[in-house]
Amino acid sequence: MQKFFSNRRLVIIVVILVVCFGLMAGSVTLRNRRNTPPLIQQFGNDIVGFADSAVALPVNWLQTSFSSVNDLMNTYSENRELKQQVTELAQTKVRDQTLAHENQQLKRELKLGKSMTDYDTVTAAVLTRTPSSWQQQLVINKGQSSGIKKNMPVMSDGGLVGRIVEVNKTNSKVELLSDTNEASSRFAISIGGSNDQLVNGIITGYNADRNELVMGQVSSKAKIKKGTKVVTSGMGGVTPKGLYVGKVARIGKDDYGLAQKVYITPASNFNDINIVTVAESTAQE
Amino acid sequence: MYRLSRLKYVFPIGLFVCLFLDGSLSHVWAPLFFRYPYSMASELVILWLVLSYFFENGIEIPLIPFAIAAGVVADVYISGILGLYMVLFPCIVALTRLLAHYFNPSFLTNIMIFFIDIVVFATVNYWAYSLVGITSVGFGDYLAFSLAPTLALNLVYFVVLYWPIRALYSWATTEKTV
Repeated sequence: MQKFFSNRRLVIIVVILVVCFGLMAGSVTLRNRRNTPPLIQQFGNDIVGFADSAVALPVNWLQTSFSSVNDLMNTYSENRELKQQVTELAQTKVRDQTLAHENQQLKRELKLGKSMTDYDTVTAAVLTRTPSSWQQQLVINKGQSSGIKKNMPVMSDGGLVGRIVEVNKTNSKVELLSDTNEASSRFAISIGGSNDQLVNGIITGYNADRNELVMGQVSSKAKIKKGTKVVTSGMGGVTPKGLYVGKVARIGKDDYGLAQKVYITPASNFNDINIVTVAESTAQE
Repeated sequence: MYRLSRLKYVFPIGLFVCLFLDGSLSHVWAPLFFRYPYSMASELVILWLVLSYFFENGIEIPLIPFAIAAGVVADVYISGILGLYMVLFPCIVALTRLLAHYFNPSFLTNIMIFFIDIVVFATVNYWAYSLVGITSVGFGDYLAFSLAPTLALNLVYFVVLYWPIRALYSWATTEKTV
Protein backbone atom coordinates (compact mmCIF):
# COMPACT_ATOMS: atom_id res chain seq x y z
CA MET A 1 0.00 0.00 0.00
CA GLN A 2 2.93 2.35 0.57
CA LYS A 3 3.91 1.89 -3.04
CA PHE A 4 0.47 2.86 -4.24
CA PHE A 5 1.19 6.54 -3.99
CA SER A 6 4.66 6.42 -5.48
CA ASN A 7 5.88 9.67 -6.96
CA ARG A 8 5.11 8.89 -10.54
CA ARG A 9 1.63 7.64 -9.81
CA LEU A 10 0.84 10.66 -7.69
CA VAL A 11 1.90 13.01 -10.46
CA ILE A 12 -0.23 11.16 -13.00
CA ILE A 13 -3.27 11.22 -10.70
CA VAL A 14 -2.90 14.93 -10.04
CA VAL A 15 -2.50 15.65 -13.75
CA ILE A 16 -5.62 13.63 -14.57
CA LEU A 17 -7.59 15.44 -11.86
CA VAL A 18 -6.50 18.84 -13.13
CA VAL A 19 -7.31 17.96 -16.74
CA CYS A 20 -10.69 16.62 -15.65
CA PHE A 21 -11.75 19.68 -13.76
CA GLY A 22 -10.34 21.93 -16.45
CA LEU A 23 -12.44 20.13 -19.05
CA MET A 24 -15.55 20.29 -16.89
CA ALA A 25 -15.24 23.97 -16.04
CA GLY A 26 -14.24 24.74 -19.61
CA SER A 27 -17.19 22.97 -21.14
CA VAL A 28 -19.62 24.66 -18.76
CA THR A 29 -18.38 28.14 -19.68
CA LEU A 30 -17.96 27.34 -23.37
CA ARG A 31 -21.48 26.05 -23.43
CA ASN A 32 -22.88 29.28 -22.03
CA ARG A 33 -20.87 31.39 -24.42
CA ARG A 34 -20.79 29.65 -27.76
CA ASN A 35 -23.74 29.22 -30.08
CA THR A 36 -22.77 25.72 -31.12
CA PRO A 37 -20.28 23.27 -29.63
CA PRO A 38 -16.96 22.67 -31.45
CA LEU A 39 -17.28 20.85 -34.75
CA ILE A 40 -15.81 17.57 -33.50
CA GLN A 41 -18.23 17.48 -30.61
CA GLN A 42 -21.13 18.24 -32.95
CA PHE A 43 -20.07 15.48 -35.32
CA GLY A 44 -19.79 12.98 -32.48
CA ASN A 45 -23.15 14.01 -31.14
CA ASP A 46 -24.80 13.51 -34.51
CA ILE A 47 -23.39 10.02 -34.97
CA VAL A 48 -24.30 8.99 -31.41
CA GLY A 49 -27.74 10.49 -31.95
CA PHE A 50 -28.37 8.08 -34.82
CA ALA A 51 -27.25 5.12 -32.75
CA ASP A 52 -29.36 6.34 -29.86
CA SER A 53 -32.54 6.45 -31.92
CA ALA A 54 -32.12 2.71 -32.54
CA VAL A 55 -32.65 2.20 -28.80
CA ALA A 56 -34.82 5.21 -28.00
CA LEU A 57 -37.44 4.70 -30.68
CA PRO A 58 -38.45 1.14 -29.68
CA VAL A 59 -38.57 2.14 -26.00
CA ASN A 60 -40.65 5.21 -26.78
CA TRP A 61 -42.90 3.12 -29.00
CA LEU A 62 -43.45 0.64 -26.18
CA GLN A 63 -44.36 3.44 -23.82
CA THR A 64 -46.79 4.98 -26.31
CA SER A 65 -48.53 1.67 -26.84
CA PHE A 66 -48.87 1.13 -23.10
CA SER A 67 -50.23 4.60 -22.56
CA SER A 68 -52.66 4.25 -25.47
CA VAL A 69 -54.15 1.17 -23.82
CA ASN A 70 -54.43 3.27 -20.70
CA ASP A 71 -56.08 6.08 -22.66
CA LEU A 72 -58.60 3.66 -24.09
CA MET A 73 -59.92 2.99 -20.59
CA ASN A 74 -61.09 6.52 -20.00
CA THR A 75 -62.11 7.32 -23.55
CA TYR A 76 -65.80 7.58 -22.81
CA SER A 77 -65.72 10.21 -20.08
CA GLU A 78 -62.98 12.11 -21.86
CA ASN A 79 -64.96 12.14 -25.07
CA ARG A 80 -68.00 13.61 -23.37
CA GLU A 81 -65.93 16.38 -21.86
CA LEU A 82 -64.05 17.11 -25.05
CA LYS A 83 -67.25 17.36 -27.12
CA GLN A 84 -68.33 20.26 -24.97
CA GLN A 85 -65.01 21.97 -25.47
CA VAL A 86 -65.07 21.44 -29.23
CA THR A 87 -68.24 23.44 -29.67
CA GLU A 88 -66.64 26.35 -27.86
CA LEU A 89 -63.40 25.88 -29.75
CA ALA A 90 -64.98 26.31 -33.19
CA GLN A 91 -66.25 29.74 -32.18
CA THR A 92 -62.87 30.75 -30.72
CA LYS A 93 -61.07 29.54 -33.81
CA VAL A 94 -63.16 31.61 -36.18
CA ARG A 95 -62.75 34.64 -33.98
CA ASP A 96 -59.00 34.04 -33.80
CA GLN A 97 -58.79 33.88 -37.59
CA THR A 98 -60.71 37.11 -37.98
CA LEU A 99 -58.55 38.86 -35.41
CA ALA A 100 -55.32 37.58 -36.97
CA HIS A 101 -56.50 38.82 -40.34
CA GLU A 102 -57.43 42.20 -38.94
CA ASN A 103 -54.10 42.37 -37.14
CA GLN A 104 -52.25 41.77 -40.39
CA GLN A 105 -54.21 44.46 -42.16
CA LEU A 106 -53.59 46.97 -39.42
CA LYS A 107 -49.88 46.15 -39.37
CA ARG A 108 -49.70 46.66 -43.10
CA GLU A 109 -51.40 50.05 -42.80
CA LEU A 110 -48.95 51.05 -40.10
CA LYS A 111 -46.09 49.78 -42.32
CA LEU A 112 -45.07 47.48 -39.51
CA GLY A 113 -43.14 44.32 -40.34
CA LYS A 114 -43.22 41.20 -38.25
CA SER A 115 -43.65 41.77 -34.55
CA MET A 116 -42.80 39.64 -31.53
CA THR A 117 -46.04 37.68 -31.76
CA ASP A 118 -45.01 36.14 -35.09
CA TYR A 119 -43.17 32.87 -34.74
CA ASP A 120 -42.55 29.61 -36.57
CA THR A 121 -42.55 26.29 -34.79
CA VAL A 122 -40.48 23.14 -35.17
CA THR A 123 -41.87 19.95 -33.68
CA ALA A 124 -39.42 17.38 -32.32
CA ALA A 125 -39.52 14.11 -30.42
CA VAL A 126 -37.63 13.56 -27.19
CA LEU A 127 -34.90 10.92 -27.51
CA THR A 128 -33.46 10.70 -24.02
CA ARG A 129 -33.22 12.39 -20.70
CA THR A 130 -29.95 12.82 -18.82
CA PRO A 131 -29.88 10.09 -16.15
CA SER A 132 -28.57 12.33 -13.41
CA SER A 133 -29.89 13.99 -10.31
CA TRP A 134 -28.07 17.19 -11.14
CA GLN A 135 -29.18 17.99 -14.65
CA GLN A 136 -32.74 18.27 -15.90
CA GLN A 137 -31.97 17.94 -19.56
CA LEU A 138 -33.52 16.32 -22.63
CA VAL A 139 -32.10 15.42 -26.02
CA ILE A 140 -34.47 16.08 -28.92
CA ASN A 141 -34.18 14.79 -32.46
CA LYS A 142 -34.05 18.08 -34.38
CA GLY A 143 -31.09 20.42 -34.72
CA GLN A 144 -29.43 23.08 -36.80
CA SER A 145 -30.61 21.54 -40.05
CA SER A 146 -34.23 22.09 -38.97
CA GLY A 147 -33.56 25.70 -38.06
CA ILE A 148 -33.07 25.32 -34.33
CA LYS A 149 -30.78 27.83 -32.67
CA LYS A 150 -29.44 28.22 -29.17
CA ASN A 151 -31.66 29.87 -26.53
CA MET A 152 -34.92 29.22 -28.38
CA PRO A 153 -37.86 28.53 -26.06
CA VAL A 154 -39.23 24.99 -25.98
CA MET A 155 -42.87 24.15 -25.31
CA SER A 156 -44.84 21.02 -24.58
CA ASP A 157 -48.52 20.43 -23.78
CA GLY A 158 -49.08 24.05 -24.77
CA GLY A 159 -46.83 25.44 -22.04
CA LEU A 160 -43.24 26.59 -21.82
CA VAL A 161 -40.90 23.84 -20.58
CA GLY A 162 -37.37 25.02 -21.21
CA ARG A 163 -34.69 26.39 -23.43
CA ILE A 164 -32.28 25.05 -26.08
CA VAL A 165 -28.77 24.96 -24.60
CA GLU A 166 -26.77 23.05 -27.20
CA VAL A 167 -27.38 22.64 -30.90
CA ASN A 168 -25.88 19.99 -33.15
CA LYS A 169 -26.71 19.29 -36.77
CA THR A 170 -29.44 16.72 -36.12
CA ASN A 171 -30.13 16.85 -32.41
CA SER A 172 -30.09 19.36 -29.61
CA LYS A 173 -30.23 19.54 -25.85
CA VAL A 174 -33.02 21.20 -23.90
CA GLU A 175 -32.60 22.41 -20.35
CA LEU A 176 -35.89 22.26 -18.46
CA LEU A 177 -37.22 25.11 -16.35
CA SER A 178 -36.89 22.81 -13.35
CA ASP A 179 -33.09 22.73 -13.69
CA THR A 180 -31.25 24.48 -10.90
CA ASN A 181 -28.88 26.12 -13.37
CA GLU A 182 -29.54 29.84 -13.11
CA ALA A 183 -29.54 30.61 -16.81
CA SER A 184 -32.08 27.98 -17.71
CA SER A 185 -35.26 29.56 -16.47
CA ARG A 186 -34.69 33.28 -17.07
CA PHE A 187 -37.59 34.05 -19.36
CA ALA A 188 -39.18 37.50 -19.67
CA ILE A 189 -42.84 37.12 -18.74
CA SER A 190 -45.83 39.35 -18.17
CA ILE A 191 -49.01 39.04 -16.14
CA GLY A 192 -52.19 41.03 -16.54
CA GLY A 193 -52.79 42.99 -13.32
CA SER A 194 -55.62 45.21 -12.15
CA ASN A 195 -56.75 48.20 -14.28
CA ASP A 196 -55.32 46.65 -17.44
CA GLN A 197 -51.81 47.16 -16.13
CA LEU A 198 -49.26 44.66 -17.34
CA VAL A 199 -46.78 43.43 -14.77
CA ASN A 200 -43.47 42.59 -16.46
CA GLY A 201 -40.65 40.57 -15.00
CA ILE A 202 -38.55 37.47 -15.38
CA ILE A 203 -38.73 33.97 -14.01
CA THR A 204 -36.11 33.95 -11.28
CA GLY A 205 -36.27 30.39 -10.07
CA TYR A 206 -38.08 27.13 -9.63
CA ASN A 207 -39.51 25.81 -6.40
CA ALA A 208 -39.29 22.04 -6.79
CA ASP A 209 -41.01 21.54 -3.46
CA ARG A 210 -44.37 22.81 -4.74
CA ASN A 211 -43.70 22.62 -8.49
CA GLU A 212 -43.95 26.39 -8.90
CA LEU A 213 -42.03 28.88 -10.98
CA VAL A 214 -41.02 32.00 -9.10
CA MET A 215 -41.15 35.51 -10.50
CA GLY A 216 -39.18 37.60 -8.05
CA GLN A 217 -38.57 41.31 -7.53
CA VAL A 218 -41.92 42.54 -8.77
CA SER A 219 -42.02 46.16 -7.70
CA SER A 220 -45.22 47.07 -9.55
CA LYS A 221 -48.10 48.04 -7.30
CA ALA A 222 -50.71 46.49 -9.58
CA LYS A 223 -52.85 43.84 -7.94
CA ILE A 224 -52.43 40.39 -9.42
CA LYS A 225 -55.24 37.90 -9.09
CA LYS A 226 -54.78 34.21 -8.43
CA GLY A 227 -55.38 32.16 -11.55
CA THR A 228 -54.32 34.89 -13.98
CA LYS A 229 -52.63 33.47 -17.07
CA VAL A 230 -48.91 34.16 -17.44
CA VAL A 231 -47.33 34.54 -20.88
CA THR A 232 -43.89 35.41 -22.21
CA SER A 233 -43.52 39.11 -22.86
CA GLY A 234 -41.23 39.01 -25.89
CA MET A 235 -38.69 41.31 -24.26
CA GLY A 236 -35.09 40.43 -25.00
CA GLY A 237 -35.81 39.54 -28.58
CA VAL A 238 -35.22 35.80 -28.72
CA THR A 239 -38.42 34.49 -27.17
CA PRO A 240 -41.62 35.37 -29.01
CA LYS A 241 -44.44 37.14 -27.22
CA GLY A 242 -47.47 35.26 -26.00
CA LEU A 243 -46.17 31.77 -25.20
CA TYR A 244 -48.23 30.30 -22.38
CA VAL A 245 -46.24 29.72 -19.19
CA GLY A 246 -48.84 28.90 -16.54
CA LYS A 247 -51.23 30.35 -14.01
CA VAL A 248 -50.59 32.45 -10.91
CA ALA A 249 -50.77 30.15 -7.87
CA ARG A 250 -50.13 32.60 -5.05
CA ILE A 251 -48.46 35.89 -4.30
CA GLY A 252 -45.99 36.51 -1.52
CA LYS A 253 -43.47 39.07 -0.33
CA ASP A 254 -39.76 38.72 -0.92
CA ASP A 255 -37.32 38.25 1.96
CA TYR A 256 -37.10 41.97 2.74
CA GLY A 257 -40.83 42.65 2.41
CA LEU A 258 -40.28 45.28 -0.25
CA ALA A 259 -41.14 43.60 -3.51
CA GLN A 260 -43.74 41.03 -4.44
CA LYS A 261 -42.96 37.49 -5.39
CA VAL A 262 -45.35 35.72 -7.70
CA TYR A 263 -45.59 31.93 -7.72
CA ILE A 264 -46.70 30.37 -10.98
CA THR A 265 -47.99 26.85 -11.56
CA PRO A 266 -46.45 25.75 -14.88
CA ALA A 267 -48.87 24.61 -17.58
CA SER A 268 -46.97 21.44 -18.41
CA ASN A 269 -45.58 18.58 -16.38
CA PHE A 270 -41.78 18.57 -16.65
CA ASN A 271 -41.62 14.81 -16.09
CA ASP A 272 -44.00 13.86 -18.87
CA ILE A 273 -42.65 15.33 -22.09
CA ASN A 274 -42.67 13.29 -25.29
CA ILE A 275 -43.16 15.77 -28.09
CA VAL A 276 -41.84 19.31 -27.89
CA THR A 277 -42.37 22.40 -29.99
CA VAL A 278 -39.51 24.80 -30.47
CA ALA A 279 -40.65 28.35 -31.17
CA GLU A 280 -38.57 30.54 -33.44
CA SER A 281 -39.28 34.22 -33.47
CA THR A 282 -39.54 35.60 -37.00
CA ALA A 283 -39.36 39.23 -35.91
CA GLN A 284 -35.67 39.76 -36.60
CA GLU A 285 -35.87 39.18 -40.32
CA MET B 1 -9.09 -14.91 -26.31
CA TYR B 2 -11.38 -11.92 -26.49
CA ARG B 3 -10.98 -11.57 -30.24
CA LEU B 4 -12.19 -15.08 -30.96
CA SER B 5 -15.16 -15.25 -28.63
CA ARG B 6 -18.73 -14.11 -29.13
CA LEU B 7 -18.03 -11.53 -26.47
CA LYS B 8 -16.38 -9.49 -29.20
CA TYR B 9 -19.89 -8.55 -30.33
CA VAL B 10 -21.92 -9.12 -27.18
CA PHE B 11 -19.88 -6.89 -24.88
CA PRO B 12 -19.68 -3.64 -26.92
CA ILE B 13 -23.27 -3.88 -28.14
CA GLY B 14 -24.48 -4.51 -24.61
CA LEU B 15 -22.41 -1.62 -23.31
CA PHE B 16 -23.87 0.92 -25.69
CA VAL B 17 -27.39 -0.45 -25.42
CA CYS B 18 -27.06 0.02 -21.65
CA LEU B 19 -25.78 3.55 -22.14
CA PHE B 20 -28.73 4.51 -24.33
CA LEU B 21 -31.20 2.60 -22.17
CA ASP B 22 -30.11 4.72 -19.19
CA GLY B 23 -31.26 7.79 -21.09
CA SER B 24 -34.40 6.22 -22.52
CA LEU B 25 -35.56 4.75 -19.24
CA SER B 26 -34.94 8.05 -17.46
CA HIS B 27 -37.12 9.67 -20.09
CA VAL B 28 -39.92 7.10 -20.11
CA TRP B 29 -40.03 6.61 -16.35
CA ALA B 30 -39.34 10.24 -15.48
CA PRO B 31 -42.47 10.52 -13.27
CA LEU B 32 -41.07 7.65 -11.20
CA PHE B 33 -37.37 8.57 -11.26
CA PHE B 34 -37.64 12.29 -10.66
CA ARG B 35 -40.59 12.57 -8.30
CA TYR B 36 -39.84 15.37 -5.87
CA PRO B 37 -37.85 15.26 -3.61
CA TYR B 38 -36.28 12.00 -4.75
CA SER B 39 -34.22 11.60 -7.86
CA MET B 40 -32.78 8.35 -9.10
CA ALA B 41 -30.00 8.03 -11.61
CA SER B 42 -30.12 4.90 -13.72
CA GLU B 43 -26.61 3.43 -14.04
CA LEU B 44 -26.97 0.40 -16.28
CA VAL B 45 -23.55 1.12 -17.81
CA ILE B 46 -21.85 0.53 -14.48
CA LEU B 47 -23.90 -2.61 -13.96
CA TRP B 48 -22.78 -3.89 -17.36
CA LEU B 49 -19.12 -3.06 -16.75
CA VAL B 50 -19.06 -4.63 -13.30
CA LEU B 51 -20.93 -7.77 -14.31
CA SER B 52 -18.70 -8.13 -17.37
CA TYR B 53 -15.73 -8.20 -15.07
CA PHE B 54 -17.36 -10.83 -12.84
CA PHE B 55 -18.51 -13.08 -15.69
CA GLU B 56 -15.71 -12.73 -18.22
CA ASN B 57 -14.66 -16.25 -17.32
CA GLY B 58 -10.97 -15.96 -18.07
CA ILE B 59 -11.44 -14.07 -21.30
CA GLU B 60 -9.87 -10.71 -20.71
CA ILE B 61 -12.18 -8.06 -22.05
CA PRO B 62 -10.38 -4.73 -22.57
CA LEU B 63 -12.69 -3.15 -20.01
CA ILE B 64 -10.76 0.08 -19.38
CA PRO B 65 -10.61 1.26 -23.04
CA PHE B 66 -14.29 0.44 -23.48
CA ALA B 67 -15.13 2.23 -20.22
CA ILE B 68 -13.29 5.31 -21.51
CA ALA B 69 -15.16 5.12 -24.83
CA ALA B 70 -18.52 4.82 -23.07
CA GLY B 71 -17.52 7.68 -20.78
CA VAL B 72 -16.67 9.95 -23.69
CA VAL B 73 -20.02 9.23 -25.33
CA ALA B 74 -21.86 9.81 -22.06
CA ASP B 75 -20.01 13.10 -21.54
CA VAL B 76 -20.51 14.46 -25.02
CA TYR B 77 -23.95 13.21 -25.89
CA ILE B 78 -25.85 12.69 -22.67
CA SER B 79 -24.61 15.29 -20.21
CA GLY B 80 -22.87 17.81 -22.46
CA ILE B 81 -20.28 18.48 -19.76
CA LEU B 82 -16.94 16.92 -20.66
CA GLY B 83 -14.44 15.34 -18.33
CA LEU B 84 -16.41 13.45 -15.71
CA TYR B 85 -17.66 10.10 -16.99
CA MET B 86 -14.64 9.50 -19.21
CA VAL B 87 -12.51 9.28 -16.08
CA LEU B 88 -15.07 7.93 -13.64
CA PHE B 89 -16.09 4.84 -15.65
CA PRO B 90 -12.54 3.46 -15.91
CA CYS B 91 -11.96 4.31 -12.24
CA ILE B 92 -15.00 2.22 -11.30
CA VAL B 93 -13.63 -0.71 -13.33
CA ALA B 94 -10.29 -0.37 -11.53
CA LEU B 95 -12.06 -0.18 -8.17
CA THR B 96 -14.04 -3.32 -8.96
CA ARG B 97 -10.80 -5.15 -9.85
CA LEU B 98 -9.17 -3.96 -6.65
CA LEU B 99 -12.10 -5.03 -4.45
CA ALA B 100 -12.63 -8.34 -6.21
CA HIS B 101 -9.15 -9.46 -5.12
CA TYR B 102 -10.25 -9.49 -1.51
CA PHE B 103 -13.41 -11.58 -1.84
CA ASN B 104 -14.44 -14.97 -3.11
CA PRO B 105 -16.83 -14.48 -5.99
CA SER B 106 -20.43 -15.14 -5.01
CA PHE B 107 -23.72 -13.32 -5.48
CA LEU B 108 -23.50 -11.62 -2.09
CA THR B 109 -19.93 -10.36 -2.45
CA ASN B 110 -20.67 -9.25 -6.02
CA ILE B 111 -23.67 -7.22 -4.97
CA MET B 112 -21.62 -5.70 -2.16
CA ILE B 113 -18.87 -4.65 -4.57
CA PHE B 114 -21.52 -3.17 -6.89
CA PHE B 115 -23.01 -1.31 -3.91
CA ILE B 116 -19.62 0.24 -3.11
CA ASP B 117 -19.11 1.10 -6.79
CA ILE B 118 -22.40 2.98 -6.98
CA VAL B 119 -21.74 4.84 -3.73
CA VAL B 120 -18.31 5.93 -4.96
CA PHE B 121 -19.60 6.80 -8.42
CA ALA B 122 -22.55 8.87 -7.19
CA THR B 123 -20.50 10.62 -4.52
CA VAL B 124 -17.63 11.58 -6.83
CA ASN B 125 -20.19 12.72 -9.39
CA TYR B 126 -21.91 14.91 -6.77
CA TRP B 127 -18.62 16.24 -5.44
CA ALA B 128 -17.28 17.15 -8.89
CA TYR B 129 -20.51 18.80 -10.01
CA SER B 130 -20.79 20.83 -6.82
CA LEU B 131 -17.18 21.99 -7.24
CA VAL B 132 -17.85 23.08 -10.81
CA GLY B 133 -21.09 24.73 -9.72
CA ILE B 134 -23.66 22.63 -11.54
CA THR B 135 -25.43 21.68 -8.34
CA SER B 136 -25.72 23.39 -4.98
CA VAL B 137 -27.55 20.69 -3.04
CA GLY B 138 -26.32 20.12 0.53
CA PHE B 139 -24.53 16.90 1.44
CA GLY B 140 -27.31 15.69 3.73
CA ASP B 141 -29.94 16.23 1.06
CA TYR B 142 -27.71 14.43 -1.41
CA LEU B 143 -27.48 11.40 0.87
CA ALA B 144 -31.19 11.20 1.57
CA PHE B 145 -32.78 12.28 -1.68
CA SER B 146 -30.30 11.28 -4.37
CA LEU B 147 -27.90 8.59 -3.17
CA ALA B 148 -30.42 6.42 -1.35
CA PRO B 149 -32.97 6.25 -4.21
CA THR B 150 -30.19 5.75 -6.76
CA LEU B 151 -28.82 2.85 -4.75
CA ALA B 152 -32.27 1.34 -4.40
CA LEU B 153 -32.93 1.52 -8.12
CA ASN B 154 -29.57 0.13 -9.17
CA LEU B 155 -29.64 -2.71 -6.67
CA VAL B 156 -33.03 -3.69 -8.08
CA TYR B 157 -31.43 -3.66 -11.54
CA PHE B 158 -28.63 -5.82 -10.19
CA VAL B 159 -30.92 -8.41 -8.64
CA VAL B 160 -33.19 -8.57 -11.69
CA LEU B 161 -30.42 -8.67 -14.28
CA TYR B 162 -27.75 -10.72 -12.49
CA TRP B 163 -28.89 -14.16 -13.66
CA PRO B 164 -29.96 -13.18 -17.19
CA ILE B 165 -26.60 -11.51 -17.81
CA ARG B 166 -24.76 -14.46 -16.29
CA ALA B 167 -26.61 -16.79 -18.65
CA LEU B 168 -25.78 -14.51 -21.56
CA TYR B 169 -22.11 -14.51 -20.64
CA SER B 170 -21.88 -18.24 -20.14
CA TRP B 171 -23.35 -18.63 -23.63
CA ALA B 172 -20.98 -16.04 -25.05
CA THR B 173 -17.84 -17.34 -23.35
CA THR B 174 -18.13 -21.10 -23.72
CA GLU B 175 -18.97 -21.69 -27.35
CA LYS B 176 -16.49 -20.04 -29.56
CA THR B 177 -16.98 -19.06 -33.13
CA VAL B 178 -14.02 -19.79 -35.33
